[in-house]
Amino acid sequence: MVLKIFFPQCCNKADSGLLVGRWIPGQNSAVVLAVIHYPFIPGQVKQYIHQMRGQSGVDLTVLGSWSMPKEGQEGMESFLRDLSTIFPQGQWLQLSREMGKIGFRCHVLTRDQNGKLVQQEKELKEDGGGEKGGTKRGGGEKEVEGEEGGGEKDKVIFIHYEQRKVMLSQLHPIDNGVPDPQTESQLPQVFGTVCQSEPLFFLDKYDDGPVKMTHWQSEGREGSIIVELMKQASTPVCLLTTWMLTLWTSLCSSRILNMRPMRFISSKLSTCLQLSYRTEHLQTVCSPTRATAHNHFMRKANIFVSFFVDVSLGLLLVSWMYRENRIGKLANTLVPAADHVAKELEELLQWLMGAPAGLKMNRALDQVLGRFFLYHIHLWISYIHLMSPFIEMILWYVGLSACLGLTFALSLLSDITALLTFHIYCFYVYGARLYCMTVYGLSSLWRLFRGKKWNVLRQRVDSCSYDLDQLFIGTLLFTILLFLLPTTALYYLVFTLLRLVVVMFQGVLHLSVDFINSFPLFAMGLRLFRSYRLAEGVKFRVLCEEPGTPLHLMMDINPLKVSSVVQTYRTPTYSCYPKDSWLALCKKLFLGELIYPWRHKTTKID
Amino acid sequence: MGADSGSGAAPGPAVPWRKVLWERQPFPDNYVDRRFLEELRRNEGLRQYRYWAVVQEAGLVAQQISCVALFLTLWLYMEQGLLSPSTLLWTGLLCALLGYGLYQALAPRGDSDNHHRTRWSDLQSASIFLSFTFGFSPVLRTLTESVCTDTVYAMTALMLLAHLVAFPYAQPSPPGSLSLNAALFASVCLASRLPGDLHTSGGLDSSSSPSSLHTFTMLCWALLVFALWPCLLQRLRDCAPWVFGCVCVLVGVCGVGGLGSLWPGGAVLLAALLGTVTLLCPLLLIRLQSDKDNIQGPWDEAEIQEDLTHFLH
Repeated sequence: MVLKIFFPQCCNKADSGLLVGRWIPGQNSAVVLAVIHYPFIPGQVKQYIHQMRGQSGVDLTVLGSWSMPKEGQEGMESFLRDLSTIFPQGQWLQLSREMGKIGFRCHVLTRDQNGKLVQQEKELKEDGGGEKGGTKRGGGEKEVEGEEGGGEKDKVIFIHYEQRKVMLSQLHPIDNGVPDPQTESQLPQVFGTVCQSEPLFFLDKYDDGPVKMTHWQSEGREGSIIVELMKQASTPVCLLTTWMLTLWTSLCSSRILNMRPMRFISSKLSTCLQLSYRTEHLQTVCSPTRATAHNHFMRKANIFVSFFVDVSLGLLLVSWMYRENRIGKLANTLVPAADHVAKELEELLQWLMGAPAGLKMNRALDQVLGRFFLYHIHLWISYIHLMSPFIEMILWYVGLSACLGLTFALSLLSDITALLTFHIYCFYVYGARLYCMTVYGLSSLWRLFRGKKWNVLRQRVDSCSYDLDQLFIGTLLFTILLFLLPTTALYYLVFTLLRLVVVMFQGVLHLSVDFINSFPLFAMGLRLFRSYRLAEGVKFRVLCEEPGTPLHLMMDINPLKVSSVVQTYRTPTYSCYPKDSWLALCKKLFLGELIYPWRHKTTKID
Repeated sequence: MGADSGSGAAPGPAVPWRKVLWERQPFPDNYVDRRFLEELRRNEGLRQYRYWAVVQEAGLVAQQISCVALFLTLWLYMEQGLLSPSTLLWTGLLCALLGYGLYQALAPRGDSDNHHRTRWSDLQSASIFLSFTFGFSPVLRTLTESVCTDTVYAMTALMLLAHLVAFPYAQPSPPGSLSLNAALFASVCLASRLPGDLHTSGGLDSSSSPSSLHTFTMLCWALLVFALWPCLLQRLRDCAPWVFGCVCVLVGVCGVGGLGSLWPGGAVLLAALLGTVTLLCPLLLIRLQSDKDNIQGPWDEAEIQEDLTHFLH
């Protein structure tokens, strides 16, 4: 059995003393957390360890002794050995290091049945070496013969770890439940032990406590004034913000704003959607309770950072737009742009009313549809011209809402596009409905042509004997619809293409809003700058492989892959996802059903 | 006695052979005795056709072909401007009234109450037809404007062929859906290709669209020939079979004659076709009967005679 000892790097040069840590059950390994130095009173040490056990919830014990003798400090070994009687343990580790040498040496003393400690040889044998490399401590020790070739050779491996990094790091995949200590694997237990022993690291060498320890913080506790100030200030700020948010949500859900038309309009405008979504976010961030689990903390941090970045980008945009009267220029180009679009549409309709691409259309129907749509465009242009004096003012005030974030500016752009291309949407709906009616009529009349009908109960086609007048009128209608199909289909095709262009543009905007909302900036920042905090696993490299000393490995943290970071910490949003697969979309287009390719997945259920 | 081996020429054992397989018999499994194929029946249900009866039935097919030819003749007349639509329309209405009278006269003796009701519903149907047709005529006349003439003729031919093939020759009275619809479709196609009224087109534009009256006339005649005439024919066949035969011949002659007045070659072809269908095909049918060789036996699939009355107590 290999005995693994996890040894913190900060204790490599520590003075002699006691090792404090934890045995990991079932794995034959030990995690060393700190070294308690002389002078100490054993009773106080026991009391302190008991106290720490209660505070941290970790099963701390004294693991053994550590000796790094300086000049003039001989005779410690026997003293250290006697300590094992004071702190009764199942296994007692005796680690020693000599100045100038890299490798450690380790003796393990186990209690046999008589209660006496028996030293066992725990030395690493090199490959091919038959050497018995036992260190002979002073005289009179009972040694168990280290056999060559027979019996098991117990090995010791020292795994060095950087205590600060392991303490701050979080191992992925994150287990959300309470892990069973017996079945949990070794690495999460090691990480968990170090992480939970944080109260152990509060005493540094300047404190006047009962014991003197060496650990990663013993040179002095880390802290920064800004962080402390922010922590102090955060609670009242959070309370204030929460109160304001409750006020805002109660206002939003008041009766006036919940009337049918307002609800309908606000569900269609993406700006309102984004507003409600951000409110929800802020409520999560500003809740006064501290985040306990790692997931909650990361979610809060991500939301806060992305909100901050969003608002700063929005402010940047606003400051750029409102300089040099750019808003006025924008407003002045808006009306001519709408005019231009209308003129292009008119030309398109004139082309359709002629012989488009050499296709022969039914002249009468062509003229009717063309004139109808032209009249619509005329109405629309009059409406735009009516609104033109007010556009600049509206734009100025509405543009101020971009202060709330870049996402708001993008949602606003999407809404403005939707409003300006409303006539294209109307044309699409008319064309689609007409085409849909034609297709359904044709399919039903085709069944009549063959003498069959659709059985709604059985959902199948049955034969049917029709009356004479039914047959007659049915055939007439079938003929008419069949010959009018090309004309209707062409109008439908043209307007669907226009509508799809607009939808694609809006889709791009929504996707970018979604991206800004959900991208975990904080997690990415951590991954780039403090990559040890998000760990996927560990890697080992060999530090020292001298014959006669145990193997020393250095445990380095393997950071989480970037794609896993994004996937794990993505904030769930009302994500904009395509509602139908490509095949279903094509089928809907063919049949003339109205398509709404992007659907918002709401987190709330209305 | 020694065991028998094989072919059965020697007298078998005392045990007679039974046609069962669940009993072990001293014969091999594929043994058959003298009664082999006793139950074979050849050409059961073979009908003896009499030549003239078949000819009479084939007359209906010939009659239908000549109806189609007659319809096409009318169209040709209107297209070449030899007949004005109004004349044709009045003629059609007159024929319709005459036919209706004949239909009612030949009706089987029922109660007069039924007759009144039927007459009222008939009047309703007629008014629906006329109003719809008249209403849709302006739409129908410009329907195939953009389609090439050759395509229109091809569609018409296809539809008329479908009509002839799908016609319910056994019982023409409730008209078959596909045949009637195909015929109406063909007539709409043809109606849109009629030349227009000279007053409306003004002679300036090259593609003259037919006037509404042309289309209306065409559709009324299509209705008469394809929808109402078979009903009358059915009545005639039921009541007076020998009149039926005469009517078929008359229609055939009219068809050939009408086509001949415009296109003699076509008339010759039509006459040949009618002759083949009426006289040659029955002969062929009867001749080929002698080559029939059907066998039936107990190995056929069981046919369930649908007699559910014993379930109904």
